Amino acid sequence: MRLVRWLILVLFLAVLAWRWPLFHLLPLQAVRQQKMAALFDPGQFAAKFWKDRLLPSLPAAAPAGSLIQAIQTDPAAARKKFGRSVGLGADYFYFLSGTGKVVSATADQVSIACLPPYTNADLAIAIGPVFGDALRDGSGLLSINDYPNSQDFNAISAALDHLSETQVLPEVKSQARVGLTVRLAGCAEVDDESTDLRPLNLVPILFEAAPTP
Amino acid sequence: MKNIHLFACPAVLALVLAFLPLAGFSQSPAPNRIAIVVSTLNNPWFVVLADTAKQRATELGYDATVFDSQNDTAKESANFDNIIAAHYQAILFNPTDASGSVANALKAKRAGIPVFCIDREINSTNAATSQLLSDSYAGCVKLGRYFVKTVGRQGDYVELLGLVGDNNTWNRSKGFHSVVDRFPGLKMVAQQSADFDRAKGLEVMESMLQAHPDIKAVFCGNDAMAMGAYQALLTAGRENQVKVFGFDGADDVVRLIAAGKIEATGMQFPKLMARQAAEFADEYIKGRHDFPAKIPVPVELVTHENVSQFGDYGKK
Repeated sequence: MRLVRWLILVLFLAVLAWRWPLFHLLPLQAVRQQKMAALFDPGQFAAKFWKDRLLPSLPAAAPAGSLIQAIQTDPAAARKKFGRSVGLGADYFYFLSGTGKVVSATADQVSIACLPPYTNADLAIAIGPVFGDALRDGSGLLSINDYPNSQDFNAISAALDHLSETQVLPEVKSQARVGLTVRLAGCAEVDDESTDLRPLNLVPILFEAAPTP
Repeated sequence: MKNIHLFACPAVLALVLAFLPLAGFSQSPAPNRIAIVVSTLNNPWFVVLADTAKQRATELGYDATVFDSQNDTAKESANFDNIIAAHYQAILFNPTDASGSVANALKAKRAGIPVFCIDREINSTNAATSQLLSDSYAGCVKLGRYFVKTVGRQGDYVELLGLVGDNNTWNRSKGFHSVVDRFPGLKMVAQQSADFDRAKGLEVMESMLQAHPDIKAVFCGNDAMAMGAYQALLTAGRENQVKVFGFDGADDVVRLIAAGKIEATGMQFPKLMARQAAEFADEYIKGRHDFPAKIPVPVELVTHENVSQFGDYGKK
C-alpha cells in the first residue's frame, strides 16, 4: 500500500513538473541574440560592416552608367532592374558604383556626369551633414529582421552616415574639381521621382580620382 | 484507504487538467474569430487603426472583437488571457510596451495563436508571427530636415515625448535629433513625456511655456500631443510665434496644416497597416506560415506644400 502511495505522489509531482516546469530551455540563437542586443555598439558594428562587407560588395552594385541610362530611358524599368524597396512603401534605393566626371563643384554640392558627353549632372553629392537610411538600406546587406530592437537598427544608420561624412566627404571636398574623372560608389534614396532621379542624390561610400574614361 | 484518497484526489485532478488539452477539449479553435488588441482607444489614431483592422477582418469573414489595453500592460495581459481562453484564431496586436508586451505575445504563441503586431514594435523577433511597423526613425529624419528648413538654424525649442517604454517614442526622438542636433544654434531647452496623450500634452506644454516663454518651436512625438500643445499655445496667445510639429497623420492635424496653424506631421498610414495585418492573419489561418519578422512601413512628410495630397489617414 505504501508503494502505491509513493507511486501516486511521484506521478503527481511528475505531472506538475511537466505541466508547470521549473525551468525553460531556450534556443542558443535566441540567447545569443539577447546577449548581442545588450552589448550592441553601433559605431563598432558600422566600422566593421563598412570594411568587411560594404566595400567588398561594390562589384555587385549597379554600374553607374547603365543605371543612369536606364533611368533616362524608362524610370519604372530602371527601378525594377536596379532598385531596392524596403517594406510596404513607395520609396526605393539604388546602390551604384562606377566612374564619372565632375561637372560642378561648389561648397555645398558636387555634381558628376556618368554618361558621354559628360556634361549632365547625373549624380549629386551634398557637402554637409549626412542623414537618412540610404547606406543602411540601399545595399541590401542589412535586414531589420536581424535586430529584435529597431533602435539598434536605426543606430546603425546614423553610424554609417557618420562614416560617410567623416571618411568620404572630406575626400570629395578636397579632390573635386570640374573636369576630374572619379571612381565612385554610394547609395541613393528615391522618395519623390519628380525631384530625386535627375540627379540622383548620392551618399558616397567611395570617391577617388581615376583615369579618364 | 483514506490516505490513498487524500493523495489520489489531487493527482487525478492534476492528470485530468494536464491531459485536457491533449484530449482536444481546449485547443480546437472557435471558428472565424480574430482579436484586435489596441494599446488605447483614447486617441483617434488608434481608433482608426482598430476600426480598420476590424472592418477588414469582417470583410474576410471573421468575427472580430476589439480589446482596449488602456496603455496598461496588466490590462493587456488580462486581454490576452481572455483571448486565449476564448480560443481566438489570431491576434492583431498594437502593444503598449516594447519589452513588457513580449510576454503576452509569447503566451499567445504557446497557445498556438499567431500574433501580428501593428504600428508598435515588441523587442523580439520570435514572439510575433510578423510585425508591421511604421518607420518612425526615417519619418522623423524627414521631419527634422523640414524643422531646420522652417524654424531656421537658430533658436530654442522644446520636445514632448511619448510613452517612455515604447520604441516609437525613441525612434522618433532619435530620428529628429539625428538631424536637428547637427545645428548647434538650435537648442532644446526642455524635453518631457506627455504619454502620447492630448490632455497631458496640453498640461506639459502649459508648464513649458511658463518656464521658457521665448521658444520658437515644439516637436511632438505624436499628433495627439501636438493638438494639446497647439491648444496650450492658443490659450497663451502664442500660436503665431511657436511652430508646432507632430507625427501620425491624424485628420485634425492634417486639417490644421492645411489651415496654416501647424507646420508638419509624418503620415503613418494606419489603415494600410491594419488592413495588411488582417490579411496576414487570414493567410496564416488558411495555411501560409512564412512571414517576415518585421515589415517597415515608410512615413511621408505632410507640410503646407503637399497637404492637399493627404487626408483620411492616408494619401488621397
